[in-house]
Amino acid sequence: MSPATARQTMPMSLPDSQRTEAQPAPRQKVLIRNVDFYYGAFKALKNITMPLHDRRVTAFIGPSGCGKSTLLRVLNRIYELYPGQRATGEVMVDNENILSPGLDLNLLRARIGMVFQKPTPFPMSIYDNIAFGVRLYESLPRHELDERVESALRRAALWEEVKDKLHQSGLSLSGGQQQRLCIARAVAVQPEILLLDEPASALDPISTQRIEELIAELRPDYCIAIVTHNMQQAARTSDYTAFMYLGELIEFDETERIFTHPKQKHTEDYITGRFG
Amino acid sequence: MAAETAVVGPVGVSGRRGGVIGDVVFRSLTFLFALLVLLILGGVIVALIDGALPAFRTFGLSFVVTEVWNPVTKKFGALGPIYGTLVTSAIAMVIGIPLAFGVAVFITEICPLWLKRPLATMIELLAAIPSIIYGIWGLFVFAPFVQQYIEPPIIDTLGQVPGISMLFAGPPLGIGVLTAGIILAIMVLPFISSIMRDVFETVPAMLKESAYGLGATRSEVVWRVVLPFTRIGVFGGIMLGLGRALGETMAVTFVIGNAHNISASILQPGTTISAALANEFTEADSDIYLSSLIALGFILFVITFIVLAIAKFMLLRLQKQAGG
Amino acid sequence: MTVYARRRMANGVVMTLSVVATAFGVLWLVLILWTLLENGIAAITPAIFSQMTPPPGSAGGLLNAIFGSVAMTFIGTLIGTPTGILAGTFLAEYSRGSRFGEVVRFINDILLSAPSIIVGLFVYELMVVPMGHFSAWAGAVALAIIVIPVVVRTTEDMLNLVPNSLREAASALGSPKWKVIVMVSYRAAIQGMVTGVMLAVARIAGETAPLLFTALNNQFWSTDLNAPMANLPVVIFQFAMSPYADWQTLAWGGALLITITVLILNISARAIASWSTFKQ
Repeated sequence: MSPATARQTMPMSLPDSQRTEAQPAPRQKVLIRNVDFYYGAFKALKNITMPLHDRRVTAFIGPSGCGKSTLLRVLNRIYELYPGQRATGEVMVDNENILSPGLDLNLLRARIGMVFQKPTPFPMSIYDNIAFGVRLYESLPRHELDERVESALRRAALWEEVKDKLHQSGLSLSGGQQQRLCIARAVAVQPEILLLDEPASALDPISTQRIEELIAELRPDYCIAIVTHNMQQAARTSDYTAFMYLGELIEFDETERIFTHPKQKHTEDYITGRFG
Repeated sequence: MAAETAVVGPVGVSGRRGGVIGDVVFRSLTFLFALLVLLILGGVIVALIDGALPAFRTFGLSFVVTEVWNPVTKKFGALGPIYGTLVTSAIAMVIGIPLAFGVAVFITEICPLWLKRPLATMIELLAAIPSIIYGIWGLFVFAPFVQQYIEPPIIDTLGQVPGISMLFAGPPLGIGVLTAGIILAIMVLPFISSIMRDVFETVPAMLKESAYGLGATRSEVVWRVVLPFTRIGVFGGIMLGLGRALGETMAVTFVIGNAHNISASILQPGTTISAALANEFTEADSDIYLSSLIALGFILFVITFIVLAIAKFMLLRLQKQAGG
Repeated sequence: MTVYARRRMANGVVMTLSVVATAFGVLWLVLILWTLLENGIAAITPAIFSQMTPPPGSAGGLLNAIFGSVAMTFIGTLIGTPTGILAGTFLAEYSRGSRFGEVVRFINDILLSAPSIIVGLFVYELMVVPMGHFSAWAGAVALAIIVIPVVVRTTEDMLNLVPNSLREAASALGSPKWKVIVMVSYRAAIQGMVTGVMLAVARIAGETAPLLFTALNNQFWSTDLNAPMANLPVVIFQFAMSPYADWQTLAWGGALLITITVLILNISARAIASWSTFKQ
């Protein structure tokens, strides 16, 4: 079946899901509207429209090259570092279009945190890594900065492991620890949205599990978008899932429904492994 | 934890302004200094032309082909230094290229792993030794050695062969064009061999293995697979070595003998452009003398610029080939 | 002889010749260092560090020359290093694919290998002629011009090695570009950049030709940067070419001093470079 015409559901306010904890009704934090993306002349994203809900985790899945990382990178306009890459359409964050030309990108990126596939600790101490983003925008007295660093490291479940060696280089940590350092670094600037681009794909299974637990812990406070090539991870960690293929959004729905009763045949084929 | 209003970040306007101003200032600063590099080259060209103009105006373009060099009558011609520069560099290339090739082959193909790094470092230290050290060593150690052990046999053998005997005529003096050429060869050896080594290492292992798999010997693999694959880079490296040899000053100045006349024999003293400049600049007692020397500098600059530009083009093409 | 035997012999010849060539190269290094040591060690007395260059026929030292070399090398490095770093930063961070960047890179590499005597002539016309006299300032500027292309090249190469993911991570936190460069890229590349500066210093420590037309020489002790200043390479040049034995001995001593300095700088630079790649 051709995925040429995609119809996706756009729930504006969902009834509570089957989970047992009481959930506040999810508010739409981000609305991606008619977004196209070009690498030079190549159209990598075609007319994407979908929401991201506040205090929920939305997963992007799909085969390699489907555009999921590209879409994630539109959300903090990190693509603007490279000439020849551009996006059209609108991305509304709290009713403000962040793709508008006059927007200050640095301020935007201070509100939207990003964690990359490979851990990227800066060549400085653990403390300075966390403090780096904070120091960009705030001049805090020393004890407040210390508190910020500690709370960020606690949120990333790294505090106990590094509290005695805050002045050692970030590069001295293991892979899994480095990735948690990057997560701590991202939350230290108190963003509203967290973008995670395959955060666990470079890590061993135990570290992967830690990261997934971390995502669940962070969920009540942030709007989280995660790109993953691991479907089970998407099923485990996310509330909503978007399935993409060749630059198009094929289906968007609550994770539970996508994985049990997908509406599109293509989605079903991918989920059941008929193609990868 | 989410901000209530859209635009205001954790800190307001001052944070934003500092960032933008900082970016503009820093970018302009780096741009200006990059421009400075171009200006230096432009300055060199302008300064040389400015200083050389009187000489060219007085002697015209025949300056380049006149041999006479007489500070007393104030008649100057560049032919002697130009000839010396070209001949010493030619000797340096003839001796240096095969040597560099041998070193590169050894280090990349034959050398045991534990020896590679120290050996490569030693060869590169040859490049690090300042030119004046080669000069003083050449004058006191090498020139006497050449005079005693190298020139006599050459005179006795090659100097007797009709047809080329005038290339080796004259008494063994030690100092002269040949000695300068040999020292230059040693000096350019590390440059050429280092580039050769780099490009030899880029040959894909699979390519060499398929040749070995057909039963080729090591020298055949090097000659028929590695060298053709890397010939652009090798040529670029040779050009770079030539550029260095042409401009080399102190080592040559000590051993070339500072004679402005051209002789066919490489055993005779001569002069190169840079040696003439080094030896005579501070003694130039007339304006036209000085201007002639600067004119020599200008000619040298033109020659080396062309050679180095060719080298750079070759190496750039190689990069594009490898990248594309 | 069979074809195969001939091929084997050819192989043997080529391989032997390359061993010979390498041994030849190493032999030269050893020979030069040995003679340097042999002839120079006699001159390394405390006097060499405490007395000035003497007139012919008397004893003396090289203090004024050592001071001059150190002073001009230092100033030249001081001028050339920030210039080279900033220009190299432009090439690595701001000039992706631009024509201007390509031209600058091309010209820079030509300046890198250009004869240093040309640089001397340039600074002569630029500074000595307008000022009316030789000076240590002119010498330092000439050395700076030799330093700049070296530092530009190593800075650009080292910055290009910093992975883009590091830059993206800093930008993703909202950092303006200049802070990404100064606080992240420079820190990541610092070891390579320091190595580059050390190699540049090693290069100018032994340069003679540019100083011949700029700082000239000075028989006496002088700290006046606005006047000709003694320096080791030119002193060696003058003394070695002379017929006086004690001058010649001093020349060997100075040559040994320069070579030791240059070798230490070179070997340390390489050690730092390989230690840092080993660490990662």
